[in-house]
Amino acid sequence: MNIKSFKATLLVVFVSIITFSSCNEDFLNPKPTDSIEDDLIFESYVTAEAALIGAYDQLSGSNFEGLRAPIMADIIGEDVMVNAVENWNWFVAVYQLNLLPNYTNVENPWWNAYKIIHDANKIIAKAQEVPDATETQRNALEGESRVIRAYTMLTLVEMYANAYSRNSEAPGILNVNIPTNKDSEDFGRASVAEIYTQITDDLLKAIDLLSDYTNKGFFDKRAAQAVLARAYLDMEEWEKASEMAKEAHKDLTLMSANEMLSGFSVRNSETIFSVAYTAEDNNVYLSIPSFYWPVAGYSSMRANDRFVELFSKQDIRLNYFILDPDIDPNRNLILKFSHNQQVGNAERISIRAAEMHLIEAECEAELGNNEEARDALYIVQKRSIGNAIKSTASGDALIQEILLERRKELFGEGFRWNDIKRRQTQFTREGDHWVKFDFGAQDEDYNRLTFPIPQSEIDANSKLTQDDQNPGY
Amino acid sequence: MRRLLLGSLLIMVMIIPVFSQSITIKGTVTDLETGEALPGVNIVIEGTFIGSITDINGNYYLDVTNEEATLVYSFIGMNTVKEKINGRSIIDVALGSDAEILGDVMVVAYGTTTKEAFTGAAEVVGEDVLKERPVSSFEKALQGTTAGLQVSSSSGQPGSASTVRIRGIGSLSSSSSPLYVIDGVPMSGSITDINPSDIANLTVLKDAAAASLYGSRAANGVIIITTKSGSEGVTKITFDAQYGVSNRISDGYQLMNSTQFYEHSWLGLYNQQINDGQTIEDAKAYAHKEVKNIVGFNPFSSDNPLDENGKLANGVKALTDTDWRDAVYKTGAIQNYNLSVSGGNDDTKVYFSLGYLGDSGTTLSSNFKRYSGKVNVSHKVNSFLTAGINNHLSYSTTEAPPSGSGGSNPVRSAEIINAASPIYNADESYNWENKAVYDFNPVGLSELDKYSYITKRALINAYLNFAITPTLNFRTTGAIDYSDNDGVNHYNPYHGNGAGVNGRTSESRSDNMAWNITNLLTWNKARDNSSFEAMLGQEAHGEKYSVLSAGATDFAIPGHHELVWGGQPEMPSSYSSEWRMVSYFGQAKYNYGGRYYLSASLRGDGCSRFGEDYKYGLFYSVGGSWRITEEEWMPELFWLNNLKIRASYGTSGNSNLGNYASLGLYGSGANYGGYPGLTPVQLENNEIKWEKIQSLNIGLETRLFNRLGASVEYYTRYSDGLLYGKPLSAGLGFPTIMTNLGAMENRGVELSLNWDVLTNRDLSWVLGFNMSTNINEIKSLATEQVISGTKIWEVGGDVYQFYMRDWAGVDPSNGNPMWFTNVASDDASNNTEPNSAFIDPNGSGKMVTSNYMDAERIRKGSALPDLFGGLSNNFNYRNFDLSFYFYYSIGGQIYNFDYAANMHDGNSPAYNLSVDALDAWTPSNKYTNVPRYNTNNENQSEQMSSRYLEDGSFLRLKNVSFGYYLPESICQRVHVNQLKVFVSAENLWTLTKYKGFDPEGAMNGTTSNTIPGVKTISFGVKMEL
Repeated sequence: MNIKSFKATLLVVFVSIITFSSCNEDFLNPKPTDSIEDDLIFESYVTAEAALIGAYDQLSGSNFEGLRAPIMADIIGEDVMVNAVENWNWFVAVYQLNLLPNYTNVENPWWNAYKIIHDANKIIAKAQEVPDATETQRNALEGESRVIRAYTMLTLVEMYANAYSRNSEAPGILNVNIPTNKDSEDFGRASVAEIYTQITDDLLKAIDLLSDYTNKGFFDKRAAQAVLARAYLDMEEWEKASEMAKEAHKDLTLMSANEMLSGFSVRNSETIFSVAYTAEDNNVYLSIPSFYWPVAGYSSMRANDRFVELFSKQDIRLNYFILDPDIDPNRNLILKFSHNQQVGNAERISIRAAEMHLIEAECEAELGNNEEARDALYIVQKRSIGNAIKSTASGDALIQEILLERRKELFGEGFRWNDIKRRQTQFTREGDHWVKFDFGAQDEDYNRLTFPIPQSEIDANSKLTQDDQNPGY
Repeated sequence: MRRLLLGSLLIMVMIIPVFSQSITIKGTVTDLETGEALPGVNIVIEGTFIGSITDINGNYYLDVTNEEATLVYSFIGMNTVKEKINGRSIIDVALGSDAEILGDVMVVAYGTTTKEAFTGAAEVVGEDVLKERPVSSFEKALQGTTAGLQVSSSSGQPGSASTVRIRGIGSLSSSSSPLYVIDGVPMSGSITDINPSDIANLTVLKDAAAASLYGSRAANGVIIITTKSGSEGVTKITFDAQYGVSNRISDGYQLMNSTQFYEHSWLGLYNQQINDGQTIEDAKAYAHKEVKNIVGFNPFSSDNPLDENGKLANGVKALTDTDWRDAVYKTGAIQNYNLSVSGGNDDTKVYFSLGYLGDSGTTLSSNFKRYSGKVNVSHKVNSFLTAGINNHLSYSTTEAPPSGSGGSNPVRSAEIINAASPIYNADESYNWENKAVYDFNPVGLSELDKYSYITKRALINAYLNFAITPTLNFRTTGAIDYSDNDGVNHYNPYHGNGAGVNGRTSESRSDNMAWNITNLLTWNKARDNSSFEAMLGQEAHGEKYSVLSAGATDFAIPGHHELVWGGQPEMPSSYSSEWRMVSYFGQAKYNYGGRYYLSASLRGDGCSRFGEDYKYGLFYSVGGSWRITEEEWMPELFWLNNLKIRASYGTSGNSNLGNYASLGLYGSGANYGGYPGLTPVQLENNEIKWEKIQSLNIGLETRLFNRLGASVEYYTRYSDGLLYGKPLSAGLGFPTIMTNLGAMENRGVELSLNWDVLTNRDLSWVLGFNMSTNINEIKSLATEQVISGTKIWEVGGDVYQFYMRDWAGVDPSNGNPMWFTNVASDDASNNTEPNSAFIDPNGSGKMVTSNYMDAERIRKGSALPDLFGGLSNNFNYRNFDLSFYFYYSIGGQIYNFDYAANMHDGNSPAYNLSVDALDAWTPSNKYTNVPRYNTNNENQSEQMSSRYLEDGSFLRLKNVSFGYYLPESICQRVHVNQLKVFVSAENLWTLTKYKGFDPEGAMNGTTSNTIPGVKTISFGVKMEL
């Protein structure tokens, strides 16, 4: 080595030192490749729209609308049962109505729901400012996010608070209706009435902002009206509920009797909103058919014998039930929700026209419009019951007939729990139930029909103490 | 070359003021032992930069102006010699080898030092501890060798790394692992890729003075690995071969056989019916009818195997009695071969090695193979420039079945499938039916499923070292640590996890590329009785992790797992993530008279992981030591050979958190309905910053009677700004946010003794002992309590403090479980006894309840040991050597989830039981600790309580080895220099009251059906050519 190469080497070394010494901005600010920084999302329509897709993805998760929320809404009821064998303990405590504030089934829907609401709040706040979006696009971003928020809050308030009809001034849920960050103040429990105001307000705005879509995997105007009909039904605003239900089913053809028996795994003419489930990015075992269909999944759902007895022999819906001694010697299996070609691959149809007809029937009956109520009821009955005759009942008898029809038509679709609660009816489990109950709205056991506020929420929320827990926990 | 030196000397000489007249000194420098001339020896006039260097013949010339000056002659590997000129013009010097001094050189942060001069707390672990040990990774051999160092293996999976902690747990949620530095470069990948036989020694840096120079990465201490290098002289070729057998470390508690389980299940059904108010006859009839259903199989020769009272009827034989542990565990074989070549000359030194380690594992589908190669070269280019490269390559394959509570964990299956369930059907096909983990026969799955991993690793670091002047040195190092990990996971289409999707394969390819550039400028100046050393350094570090994963389902052709065989692709994924750091640091050391030593260091780090305002951190340390025995006023005491006290204080940091932790982010992959979506995945968190640790260390080292070395250390480590996920209300969208809110202290005392009991020429015996205590205490938290699983965090408690209901035994009157109500505890705000409370019938005088939810949780001690350490004995007798190491750990509780699963009292009637469950309450066995066995029990007796909390203390014969060097005459006959045969056994014997397989486990003191530890006996030969 000569003096030149020595100098050259030293030069290289010092240059390298200087290169790294001048640590420029970029050197200490590498960017992630699988995520985008917050402040860039609403700078373009493409990313803003992706954020809306993301909110639907949160909604469709198995902790919420994809599985837990709807399945528990029937398990807390009289019509279905959970077989504990080879079920890895799924939903057993829910079935027993024996829940504690720290149980997964109590914690997960709550946390999942507020994540959906968090996502939606951010979009609602920024939708109208997305620079390269058209007005229609901006309205769609805002409108759909409002339906997402309202739908989520409605599910939550039905689960975690007492029914509006029982006491609308009782504590509801957290009314998180603005974007939040880590320094935001905590939200306390708003009253049930405030939550319903928030829900109806969101939906009314959404109805103005949205149009009708052909892709029923997304909330459109019709879906907003349908959700609003549900909210009004809870609030016993019969007139408004009936009006919204009519808007929501207008011009829709009910699916055929054959389609009724084809597994509820794909959307059809009757569908108003369906969780657009794809097997690729979901856990197929955590899906409705995985629990309901008698084979290939957890396959642990059974139908109560007393419930099956309610169907007439001419009712095609009786085909939903089967006794197969090879699978279960004692109890009715359920064939309503099937896999679509592969295990767990099935959309979950969340809102369909038959429910809207039944809402219309119930409301009209409550309003004393018996004939309208009978007509609406008959639309649903005549599809499934071969020798259906239009009801001649009126008053309370008619209402009871409509509620029974609702139970038969919509079982397994996530309504029974709230139907009991909002009508404050007796909770009676008989027949081949493993865990039997019989209590009414005035009994202390009725508290079992409201979930506890999750312990993690009470622990972390500065506005809540143990005293804010729901009664009975 | 000469021209350059003369040139540069000329420049320097010109800078120095020239005094009156100069004289020329000349001379020759030789090797004291061989008498040969030594080229390249540095000669410098003490206290100046003026110097020269010897030529190829060992001659030198040097102009000096001061005839009273002293010349300092130095050469690597030789003793430095000082000569006063005293008017001479020819000074010949002979340098002796400094082998003895080298023994005390220790590798420390960014350099070396001597043990005498060191002001920090560090310990060197030599090759003798690592060699011939049948372990896959070096850290397993460290257990018990060093005070303050805790090593714990939570799994017997071959090739898995142990958990290592230096002086306690330093962090709540970030990593508490030490930083590993190999040949001067921080490591990024796994430590198990390193072949232990390539390691020359390890230095464990424990306090601030030792470790703070690593700044933001030093909070949990540093372990410096120095690999072997060549030395000049005859080339040595070493080959060793080792073969061992390994087994599960112990038998654990016994499980029921098929007869016991069948009878006990009958009893459970009978009890259940009696409990429901049935008559004895009805209850018996029911139990007879249902028992087969509960057990799943009738393992007997008769259809009605049980008599009237549920006992095996006369003449009935058990045809099936499966020992699922025998089916899942096996005897493992360990093979270890190493070939190394080491040698060199004055200028070039090389070490290279090839190694193979194969460990077939003690559990089905669990094994490890590692191929490794190493090349270390250093080359002296000329008198001032040395270049070198340290190279490590390895390739390893691992098969590791899943752990945890899933059905596919074979360890769990072995514990919970009952013995009445056969492995095979009559036609020798696998039986997939059992009541505990249906469709998950672990033996069948081990054949059909695949969990395999391949790791490729390259660690390369190259350096240039410029001896600019004899006192000024510059070293630049560039390093790459690259690891590539491939994982394949296949679920077969027929049984277990893959059955629902007709088989699934998931593959991932990931790599981590870490680079590091370090530049060090050191300067030292020595006077007669003082010396000063300064270092300036600069370092840049970056890491980029990339991953690609893909999967497919629908596998039609049996036995083929590659993705091409799958009919249905799944969503693929890829991303990368990186972080970078830039640092500047400096260190100064001063020594006066070999008695007083001072050191100080300062480091500034800038790290990309933190928010704009918190990217930079400053860390410092100061240390000093006083060697009292070197004081002139100290009398020469025959019994006191060395006495040194030292103290240090300093700060360091922990930057182990997510790469983009400060950013508010929307993540990809939130797809819906076939459209790509984004969703918020992280809240913006600009204020997040380093965890800081302040450490204080006071140490005393002494040597007595020239035989007994002892050191005692006291330390405190105060960690502040600890990151942990502060729980948030769901209303803010996320469950937690990382916040710098915790503080924690570790303090402890360490004692090490080293006693040369016998030092005869034929027989020597060295006894080593060390003992450590560490008290961990949480000093602040954002919330009053954080309760999670078995533990509670609160101010004043430690990080692994158990918190659960307090088991009160069994109610003798009815066999119900009881827990103390402990109403004074803080689970519920009021202190009133619940309605279900009654006075303990077992006479404790306290209130108990049989309603689990009515009992309040209390603090039940810690998982951390009070005291741990090691005891070693090394004997040498002529050609024999014998050593044994003990490791002990005293105190520390273990919550035995595994045992709880086997003592379920009928709460999970399908799970197998420990034979301890036979002691369950019956009307004729009223005074017992095992509740009445009820099928489908709902008494929650198996829920978390102190019932399953055990003392985890143990004493273990960690290693015993015996070696014999064959006599020289035999060696010569087979033409080898040295031939040694040895036996080495690991974990041979354990003394403990713990019921499970192994009291050594996860630091947090819980069990989770991991592969039990192993004991190994191996024998080997080692030859040197």
